[in-house]
Amino acid sequence: MTTNSGVETMNVTLTVNGRRVVAPEGSTILEAARSAGIRIPTLCHHPDLSNVGSCRICVVSVDGTSGLQTACTAPVQAGMQIDTESEAARATRRFVLEMLLTDHPNECMICEVNGDCELQELVYEYEVPWPEPGGARHAFAVDPDPNPFIVIDRNKCILCTRCVRACAEIQNRDVWGIAHRGFESRLVAGADEFLLDARCESCGQCVAYCPVGALYDKMSLGRARVNKVTRVPTTCSYCGVGCSLDLNVRDGEVVRVTGIPEAPVNGMALCVKGRYGYDYVHHPDRLTAPLVRAALLSAEHLDARLANGEWQVTAVPDDRSPDEEITPDTFIATDWATALDVVAGRFADEKEAHGADAFAVFASAKCTNEENFLFGKFARQILGTNSIDHCARL
Amino acid sequence: MGTCGIAAGAEATRDAVDRELEQRSLAGEAGRVGCMGMCSFEPILELHAAGSPYMVYGRATAEAVPGIFAAYLEGTSLQQGVVVGEGRPVFTRSNGSALESLSLVDPETGDPIPFHRKQVRVVLSNCGLIDPESVDDYLAVGGYEALETVLAMDAEQVVDTVIRSGLRGRGGGGFPTGRKWQLARSTERWPKYVICNADEGDPGAFMDRSVLEGDPHAVIEGMAIAGYAIGAAVGYVYCRAEYPLAIRRLEGALAAARELRLLGRDILGSGFDFDIQVKAGAGAFVCGEETALMASIHGERGQPWPRPPYPAVAGLWDQPSNVNNVKSYAFVPRIVRQGAAWFRSLGTEGSPGTAVFALSGMVNRTGLIEVPMGITLHDVVFDIGGGIPGGKQFKAVQTGGPLGGCLPAANLDTPVDFDSLTAAGSVMGSGGMIVADETTCMVEFATYFLRFACDESCGKCPPCRIGSLRMLEILERITAGRGRPDDLDRIRHLAGGMQQGSLCGLGQLTPSPVLSVLRHFEDELWAHITEGRCPAAACQKLVRSPCVSACPAGVDVPAYLALVAQGRRSEALAVHREANPFAMICGRVCPAFCEDVCRRGQIDEPIAIRHVKRFMADHEFAEPWTPPRLAPSKDVRVAVVGAGPCGLTTALRLAQQGYRVTVFERMPEPGGMMTYGIPSYRLPRAPLFAEIDHIRRAGVEIRCGMQLGTDFTIKSLREDGYAAIVLALGAHRSRSLNIDGEDKDGVYHGVQMLRDVASDQLPDLSGKRVVVVGGGDTAMDAARSARRLGAEEVRVVYRRTRDELPAIREEIEGAVEEGVVFDFLVTPVAVLGDGSVNAVRLQRQSLGNFDSSGRRRPVPIAGSEFDLPCDVLVPAIGQITWLDDDSLRARQAGTIDIGKAFELGDVPGVFAAGDAVSGPATVVQSVAQGNQVAITVRHWLETGELGGVYYRPVRHDIAQLYDPQDYAESRRPEPGMLSVEERLAGRDFSEVERVLDAAAIEEECKRCLRCDLEWLQRIGEPMP
Repeated sequence: MTTNSGVETMNVTLTVNGRRVVAPEGSTILEAARSAGIRIPTLCHHPDLSNVGSCRICVVSVDGTSGLQTACTAPVQAGMQIDTESEAARATRRFVLEMLLTDHPNECMICEVNGDCELQELVYEYEVPWPEPGGARHAFAVDPDPNPFIVIDRNKCILCTRCVRACAEIQNRDVWGIAHRGFESRLVAGADEFLLDARCESCGQCVAYCPVGALYDKMSLGRARVNKVTRVPTTCSYCGVGCSLDLNVRDGEVVRVTGIPEAPVNGMALCVKGRYGYDYVHHPDRLTAPLVRAALLSAEHLDARLANGEWQVTAVPDDRSPDEEITPDTFIATDWATALDVVAGRFADEKEAHGADAFAVFASAKCTNEENFLFGKFARQILGTNSIDHCARL
Repeated sequence: MGTCGIAAGAEATRDAVDRELEQRSLAGEAGRVGCMGMCSFEPILELHAAGSPYMVYGRATAEAVPGIFAAYLEGTSLQQGVVVGEGRPVFTRSNGSALESLSLVDPETGDPIPFHRKQVRVVLSNCGLIDPESVDDYLAVGGYEALETVLAMDAEQVVDTVIRSGLRGRGGGGFPTGRKWQLARSTERWPKYVICNADEGDPGAFMDRSVLEGDPHAVIEGMAIAGYAIGAAVGYVYCRAEYPLAIRRLEGALAAARELRLLGRDILGSGFDFDIQVKAGAGAFVCGEETALMASIHGERGQPWPRPPYPAVAGLWDQPSNVNNVKSYAFVPRIVRQGAAWFRSLGTEGSPGTAVFALSGMVNRTGLIEVPMGITLHDVVFDIGGGIPGGKQFKAVQTGGPLGGCLPAANLDTPVDFDSLTAAGSVMGSGGMIVADETTCMVEFATYFLRFACDESCGKCPPCRIGSLRMLEILERITAGRGRPDDLDRIRHLAGGMQQGSLCGLGQLTPSPVLSVLRHFEDELWAHITEGRCPAAACQKLVRSPCVSACPAGVDVPAYLALVAQGRRSEALAVHREANPFAMICGRVCPAFCEDVCRRGQIDEPIAIRHVKRFMADHEFAEPWTPPRLAPSKDVRVAVVGAGPCGLTTALRLAQQGYRVTVFERMPEPGGMMTYGIPSYRLPRAPLFAEIDHIRRAGVEIRCGMQLGTDFTIKSLREDGYAAIVLALGAHRSRSLNIDGEDKDGVYHGVQMLRDVASDQLPDLSGKRVVVVGGGDTAMDAARSARRLGAEEVRVVYRRTRDELPAIREEIEGAVEEGVVFDFLVTPVAVLGDGSVNAVRLQRQSLGNFDSSGRRRPVPIAGSEFDLPCDVLVPAIGQITWLDDDSLRARQAGTIDIGKAFELGDVPGVFAAGDAVSGPATVVQSVAQGNQVAITVRHWLETGELGGVYYRPVRHDIAQLYDPQDYAESRRPEPGMLSVEERLAGRDFSEVERVLDAAAIEEECKRCLRCDLEWLQRIGEPMP
């Protein structure tokens, strides 16, 4: 709500479901009710996004006014008497759900978001029966867009416009919009074109805010239903912003990445790398042990440890097979203690031979602030050089 | 010259006037004014020569102009064009020529022309009077004086003036304009905006366009005043792009006003800054909703946003804004100039001022009118609009555009104002008024508006986006004959959800037209759903032909006409009997609803369907029909009480299905009112009893002289093993007049007279003066019988006028031919005489308000009583049923109360139908009921379920074996009639009407346009 800047915000007192509620002037009925722990169901509302009052699910009765008001848009007024569970409000919610179902596929059983769908939850709560067949239903092509990360199924779209607002208000890209009107209204990218032609940077914010299965993560299709995954919170390793995210893990494998609404840095927002760049985790080329060239290892150790299997000869980076003869350049997969000893020893040798200014240190944006701080200490105090820089300067 | 005048050729007319002036070497000038609102007369030409009257001519096309000049200047008679009226000079135009008032008078009588008589033009007063492209013209009529006045006032006073005037928003919502201004004024945030809503999207409505095209400065002045009042410096006119002329004239007016410092900085040196810009809408109806309108000005998708906050608090660009309709602003300068009290003196207490309507549809004088609030719908439709074209019946008027509602004839007395229309179930709206006549199907009517609203739904909220389509799907199903019994409940459910759940007025009001049809025309909906019949014969998919639709029994008229045309009379008769077993009877006495709607009748005369029927049936007289048995015999007995047309049809249909049916009849002969109510000069006994014999031949046992309650009871029938009992008792008891002296000798009820005649107990009325009371068929039959029985003078007294007489036309004409005299607008109040009647005291009536049947109610004129001498008084004002069994309940009106499937609620297996239930009806209506009762009873006997089955007659596709072009010139034949002398000689009741010969009949059948074939071609699928 617009409030005049510079005017001190006052509190107003109102009654919700017979309970006295105090809320700041200018807040909405929904905000006031939620602050008092009173639940009002919503569908098009999201606390991160502007309110449009379109889905009509949050309607409530306000004494002294005719008709219902949408709690997400109506500002509180002192002395308001609000009933969030009036017969009219509940009947209207039920009617809206019934209408949505008359143009929604009956596909929960094979839907990616089964169990994680706001429409499904409300239909269940309000016991809305599946409507009798008959009448026009949309039959859009499923996944018509070549975007590698985002699947579109307009048949499931309820036109809540959360994706439109997320894209415009969070990502500032304005990719999504609604075309046509009435029953023909549909979600389109740009001027009804492919996402990537419409300035989409595949951040997936639209997917994150979709309350149903109309937008979904393409890489997770068939793999990441909510009841099959364990959510492991972590910090994104791509850059120093420190976005929190949940790795959705199934059978030891990351199958999807989701934002964390409570995350102080990023909330539900992630970028294309954080959200979709997780396929390296299980990539066969990923390094899982330190590699040291054979020449840097003592021959005695090498033979013994290769023999007992602690170390392995690797093919990287050459094309040779492990059976071929070990040359000085052959990479040996060793252990961390050995590898660090080799590095430390060489650093000490070089410093002694050429002095501290022989070193230049280059830090990574993928490190946390703490790690970069330590890296600075390492350069200046251990190595003794001021020549340290960071990839973010590129 | 508004858009519509120009479309009708006004530009060419003006060129023709210029040519004519040149040719005649006249020093004249062809001017241009806005629309006068007389659509039916466009293009319109006003002529004035010095010293001559101001004359206004209609249909003044370019070709008509020379003739009009000749008529005006030389007094020749008009060949093309018409005189609309004569104007009166009022004041002088800026260019020197005198202006005339637009209240035109009839040049002959000097009275205002009917179109203007009841109009009061305030907001339209300049339209058609001044040149809308001349600011000087506007100044000459007092323009911008109000702005000048206002600028010297305190802004609060301006708001107060508007509040005191009681002006309510003319966009349709009716919110008090002054209060709206006050809210915007009291919000302390700047800038503020004044917005004029000119997104007039209702189909057929053009009030706002006419004001913008005809008097744009009035709107500008009103907006400037509003800006001053609320503290705004910027105004927007949001005008639909489909109004290019309005936008052009508005832009021109804005430029002219700026030039005169009436807009811009420091207006008239007052320090007040205000300017206006025009925003052209992109064609979305929803942008007439104020929040969607503002979103559109923002450059966003034109979709509404929820309120509160209201625009007065957070509107355009999230700032305080005031949105009013074009007309609301245009009223303001007049209110300022003439005072709030003057405005209040017009209209009603709750809705002061005038209302502008675009009157269209089935009305003689379509046009743009302005009337004081509180005028009745009747005055608008009939006095201003001139009634319904083609002598058709008024059916309904839709107000409030596609989101409004329709009102039936019974509501014609409703005052036109915000609150009265809402109370009646419609709304005032912005000013659309569409008149529907009897040929309009109200279901289709509502479907049209619903389709519009559905197309225009913005799609933002689900109740409107999806709900309107779901409702449309149901209505389209109904108009295609695939309606379901629960559809009306479904519609109500959708309507409730949309009204309560939709975001804006569009979705909330979309169900209104449908709900108003549900409220006022539910029967018509049911006819579509249960019978697959469109009573108005309008729904394309249902109307195989108008005649079939109009026939209560659904007889396949085109099929039997086609068969008779080919000489296949037996087959034709079989087709008829499938739906109606009484072809000979109906061939004589049917009111022939089919002929009323026959399309051939729109060209010359309707097909003589009844005569064809009579011919084809009479021709088979010698070959008695045995109705076919359609199912194996069953050992199930059904009793039908009453051997009238409904009871006999029920009995026949059940017998054809194999049931063992017994009919119990009170009178000595079967036939009910066909025998005892219709005199033999209309229905001779031979064909009547022949057709009853057909029913006996189907296996039906008819037991006469059996009185319910005396000779048998419901209980005894049950004990005798009847599984189902159908009461088709008829309505034989004459309604009492309920006046003093009704028990005197000489009071002889019409029903009794006809019964006596039918029983060969002819009373002697020779030399008697007979007064018949009533106007229905019984009254006509009694009057005509009285003449045959020797009465010297027969008068019919009727409380309404000839136009309202309910009797069929042939009967009225017959009565008049036979010397019956009619006294209209009188009703008896006492029967006079000592012991026996010697006079009846009558009271004169006038016609007052409309009743639920759409007829005007007679209202007694006090002190108008007079005595009419008479020897015999014959009451014939209707019949009620005759009940004598404890297990039956009777309603006060004298009809039996039944459930949805004819069942008598608490008595399983007992059904009631016919006149006893519906009140007196025609034979064909009784037959229709009999068909339906039979299928209902059969369904109950077979399944134990009540209702849910509907009689739908079979349709036949008969080829057309002749070229209809050959019969384009043929005319309807009329059968010969007995002369009046022959009819009245010797107490003779022989048949009046003769039968046509075969050649005439076959020729007549080929006049049929075969609408059914057109239907087959169009629909390409069998009947649902």
